[in-house]
Amino acid sequence: MEKTYVVIPKNCTGCRTCELACSMVKSKRDEAGALGKPRIHIYPTGPQRYMQMTCLQCVDAACVKACPSKALVLNEETGAVEVDEERCVGCGLCEAACPFGHIRFDRDLGLPLKCDLCGGDPACARFCPYQALEMRP
Amino acid sequence: MPVQVKINGIKMSAEPQETVLQVARRSGVHIPTLCHLESVESTGACRVCLVEMKLGGKTQLTTSCNAGVEDGMEIMTDTPEVQKHRAANLEMMLGRAPGSQKIRALAREYGVYESAYVPSEDPAIPGCILCELCVRVCEALGHSALAAVSRGGKKYIGTPHDKPSESCVGCGACAEKCPTRCIEMTDTKKTRTIWGQTFDFVSCETCGAPVMTVRQRTHAVETKELPEDYYTTCVACKQKNLAGRFARVGS
Repeated sequence: MEKTYVVIPKNCTGCRTCELACSMVKSKRDEAGALGKPRIHIYPTGPQRYMQMTCLQCVDAACVKACPSKALVLNEETGAVEVDEERCVGCGLCEAACPFGHIRFDRDLGLPLKCDLCGGDPACARFCPYQALEMRP
Repeated sequence: MPVQVKINGIKMSAEPQETVLQVARRSGVHIPTLCHLESVESTGACRVCLVEMKLGGKTQLTTSCNAGVEDGMEIMTDTPEVQKHRAANLEMMLGRAPGSQKIRALAREYGVYESAYVPSEDPAIPGCILCELCVRVCEALGHSALAAVSRGGKKYIGTPHDKPSESCVGCGACAEKCPTRCIEMTDTKKTRTIWGQTFDFVSCETCGAPVMTVRQRTHAVETKELPEDYYTTCVACKQKNLAGRFARVGS
């Protein structure tokens, strides 16, 4: 893991460009329709205050523990927990198990949606206009 | 000891326990599948993963998802013969599941737009291609609530004796993974109805939205080493609550 994904809420203006960028890069499947669903969400937490919420890529992750088919695997190169679509059996336990709500089971796709750090170069960080999301060495 | 195989003329080294499909996908060769999942047993039921396999001077068509590799095997994944048989299989499946987008799209790739086949009698589950992926998924989850019932043209998928199954937890994995999406599952805010049984949902402590079925939760608490209170809040509230907590820590 060369770089770490860093969230800097004080820089966030709530513009939600990260959500849009995420939707765009994740919308490759025709089944999902034109736009994919974002894996990052912005929550207003006070006047002019926002909090960006996305997967924390837990080392000892509840979703990984809950998965009965070993479909959630740690990518050692990026440090991200990734969904192996060929293994997922669609039970939705990962969504129920994550204490943070960072993995969502999509009933249209029959697959969970979670941040995979875009393989090491996350689109949300690339597109954030205010340096509120960054990849730092 | 790794074995040597050829896929579409390209030499590949493979582990003896690997299947032809695994080696092909690993080397970037696309083989279509409908009823295959890496985490459940492969049965070759849908027969769209057919490939031509040459071994010891003999050539035969075989389903790649459950064929193990052997040393010296030559595999061709896209010959006219393979295409012809995939198209024929897809035409039969299209007859059973004319409304399935997945089958329509795949059939189109093989030049099949309509099917001459019509099921001889009304199927118990319209659109079902009898691949039994739902049965295998349910088994992999440890519930084994489904099975193929009856034989021949009357064969269908159901619960034992068509009665509500005690082992079904209402997780809906069967419906999610069904390639033709033909398994009926009706969700309301409080309940889910599937396979002739209605399950109560665990409602989110904050907003009341469904989290999972009560029976799935009981099963999860019993089998997973995770605290019971992990399954009490819906995904949206969990994230929202955490955002609030983070903000309080930050200020």
